[in-house]
Amino acid sequence: MTSDENVDTTNGEEASEIAVVDSLEDTIWPLINRVLSSVDVTPERGSIDLITQIPRSDIIRALQILKDNEEVQFNYLRCLTAVDNESEGVDVVYHLYSIPKNINLTVKVNLPVDDKTIGTATEVWEAANWLERETAEMFGITFNNHPDPRTLLMPEDMTDTFPLLKSHPFAEIEILQGELLGYDRENQGDDE
Amino acid sequence: MNNGIYGIEIAWLDAVIRLHIIVGLMTVVVMGLIYVERKVLARFQQRLGPTRTGPAGLLQSVADGLKLVGKEDLRPRNADPWTFELAPYMVFIPVFLGFVIVPFAFGMQVRILELGLIYFVATSSLGIIGWVMAGWGSDNRYAMIGGMRAAAQGISYELPLVLSLISVAMVSQSFNLNDIVLSQSTYPNLLWQPLVLVIFIIAGLAELNRTPFDIPVGESEVVGGPFVEYSGIRWSFFFLAEYAALFIMGLIFAAVFMGGWAWPLGEELGRGWQILLVTVKTSLFIFLIFWIRASVPRLRIDQLMAFSWKILLPLTFVQVLINGAVLVYDAPLWILTITGLVGIVVLVRLIERAVRPSPAVNSEFVSVGNEGAS
Amino acid sequence: MVIESAPDFETQDLLINVGPQHPSTHGVFRMILEVDGEIVKDLIPHIGYLHRGAEKLCENNDFRQGVGYMDRTEYLASHNAELSYVMAVEALAELEVPERAQWIRMILCELNRLSSHFMFLGAFGVDVGVFGTPFIYAWREREALIDLFEEISGDRMMYAYFRAGGLAWEVPGNFEERVREVLVSTRQGMKDFDNLLTRNEIFLARTKNVGIISAEDAIELGMSGPTLRASGVPLDIRKSEPYMYYDQIDFEVPIGTNGDVFDRYLVRLKEMEQSVSIIEQCLERLNDGPIMPERMPRMLRLPEGQEVYIRTEAPRGEYGIYLVSKGGNKPWRLKVRSACLSNLQALRKMSVGQYVADAIIILGSIDIVLSEVDR
Repeated sequence: MTSDENVDTTNGEEASEIAVVDSLEDTIWPLINRVLSSVDVTPERGSIDLITQIPRSDIIRALQILKDNEEVQFNYLRCLTAVDNESEGVDVVYHLYSIPKNINLTVKVNLPVDDKTIGTATEVWEAANWLERETAEMFGITFNNHPDPRTLLMPEDMTDTFPLLKSHPFAEIEILQGELLGYDRENQGDDE
Repeated sequence: MNNGIYGIEIAWLDAVIRLHIIVGLMTVVVMGLIYVERKVLARFQQRLGPTRTGPAGLLQSVADGLKLVGKEDLRPRNADPWTFELAPYMVFIPVFLGFVIVPFAFGMQVRILELGLIYFVATSSLGIIGWVMAGWGSDNRYAMIGGMRAAAQGISYELPLVLSLISVAMVSQSFNLNDIVLSQSTYPNLLWQPLVLVIFIIAGLAELNRTPFDIPVGESEVVGGPFVEYSGIRWSFFFLAEYAALFIMGLIFAAVFMGGWAWPLGEELGRGWQILLVTVKTSLFIFLIFWIRASVPRLRIDQLMAFSWKILLPLTFVQVLINGAVLVYDAPLWILTITGLVGIVVLVRLIERAVRPSPAVNSEFVSVGNEGAS
Repeated sequence: MVIESAPDFETQDLLINVGPQHPSTHGVFRMILEVDGEIVKDLIPHIGYLHRGAEKLCENNDFRQGVGYMDRTEYLASHNAELSYVMAVEALAELEVPERAQWIRMILCELNRLSSHFMFLGAFGVDVGVFGTPFIYAWREREALIDLFEEISGDRMMYAYFRAGGLAWEVPGNFEERVREVLVSTRQGMKDFDNLLTRNEIFLARTKNVGIISAEDAIELGMSGPTLRASGVPLDIRKSEPYMYYDQIDFEVPIGTNGDVFDRYLVRLKEMEQSVSIIEQCLERLNDGPIMPERMPRMLRLPEGQEVYIRTEAPRGEYGIYLVSKGGNKPWRLKVRSACLSNLQALRKMSVGQYVADAIIILGSIDIVLSEVDR
């Protein structure tokens, strides 16, 4: 992935960072960097799209910039979801698409485990309404100033259980299906 | 058959016997109509319809009737007792009252009334009260909505129906159904009144609450309409009334527009031929109704009302005026044919204009070719 | 037309509850309509009746078992649902899918688009009020298509035929002839629908200028698929971000002008014609070859710290799979981006101010499958 050139710096971290940034030249990173110059962005090369990490304090402002800026015009919110990284907190992930420019961007925000609040993206795109409702009820995230914070798929009174967190256990039958029904045992046998 | 002609001179006994014959005939015919409708609709939709109960499914209606009789008689707790109970009868009885004047053959009707056509119109509009009673008495939101819609629709389409029948009466110079039939020995009335024929069929569909005017019983919206709380025999009353009304409308159509038993072979025919002719003409009408049901979507309530008041009614008025002019000045009757055909063209144009807002906006499709999106 | 009451005349709006059981075939969906006379003032949808926790379950099942869950999230277009998932796994595992498998996948996905759109036409006809004729026509065509799928994968609806890397097994020997046979009857079926509904005055009166949503609103709400294209937005993932071999195929994408119910119906009807043309072109290019890569690991383990978001054009819109892997043979997080959920958000905006009878038709025109909305 990163080309190991002869970068002679004393600090290994800086070297890898420069190398990472260099290898993103062929993606849309220079464009995003320019547009989001007022925001602290950390890029990463994803499998198809560019992934950017933005701190929680700047996220709504950054999303608004991404939508309004003429060079990028991310006017389409594709997907909004969260990933539970257990002890490292919960990542809220936004997938953005620009219809006029045909470019994609993934934005991630990390929320600490004990304080899962974040601003709402419904101010930016209306599509975020139901997507945030679902993420909130599945992960226990609170989106501040959301216009309609009811549960979407879960029953109305189920506000204390968050099914998609890793700490929420599987039922016994589900564990049976996944782990105990032969797929792990295949490594020993020679069937199929 | 002991009819008044052949023996019994006591008027009321004669009438009672005729009515019994009619009622007996009706039940069989209605059950047969239900079966025929299912078969015809099935054929339009490329399936078979009832095939298992009895030979070729002929006993299907009997089976349905037995099932309905055996059902529990449910009554909502808060249903208004008088309106809920009486509604089926209020729908059923006016339809049967209409049978008094219908001519099956020469001398084969219950009574010859001088104002037969007016009597028919009067009794057919009584049925609407029954629908509203069913809707109100059921203590159910959907039933009430259905009942209101039925009332609105029924009242709106009464007028074109009445006026179309009056136009025909003008041409035949009588309200007596027997005279109307006899006056058509050489030419049927539909030749002189083509526009009125079309309007009669449309208004008849609406009075019968049949597609495309079956909003009150719209299955995918207010399920079942005013009859949603009725079960078993009570519900079957409504159903039978609908098919009996369909049959009467067919008979009136045959008598008034196609010359009943008198055209095309004159009035000296034997009774068998007369009944056959009437049956064929009625079947034509009924088949047309079934055909329309299988092919056409349903109109929305406001479109339905607009269609009646803004399109059908003015056209019928114009037709009546033209009729009057032609008859007063003794002009030849083929003028009526020409004006009628022009009227049909006008009707079609008006419908098209109402549906497509001007200027003609068609969905012109811009196709995205291989250059990709945006 | 609403008659204004005098200001001190107190009226109460009627709350009508539609669902969860419907006479129209839409699945378990409940909406509460606040109605003033015949005009809808507000619409509150309630979903979640069919939520089965597919995303959570997939975290406990390895990458081959996940396919079965994916086709149950969209049972009318299962091939398209499986496609996104296997493409995501292949992207992370860096598997190269052989050419023959790709062509067969394309053919099956387009055939599934046809059968899904037929289902839409049938259910839509029932909603509009034609008693049963379009429904039976639709089912007649679907039977032909589903019989073909049964010959290939053994199942009529939830196929589980795609695998990460290719297909589960080889298609039957007479695949090409069978597909051409099915296409002949499909063409006839589409013509039947065209004759029955498209120029029918009552159908036009019911569907024109009903349930309009503008292009800006549609983009803002994140809609996709034919519902978005009917509003005039030329966005089709097969054209803008081509996957498989769609860039080698010549086809057009119909776009609507008005954004009303009639346009959504017509866009789908025209899309079906394009699908038939795509299938024929794919059949010409179909060649022999393997259907799985040679070096296929028996247990797929994906590298750590990778994630991907794959989007494909399913019949209802953009069906996306967001897959996060932290090593091992099970996904860490699998998110299904369902097209119907985003399209359903627009229902309220489209229906407020319309008649009650139109609210049903608008719901039918969005073409939702509840299993995708609820997963």
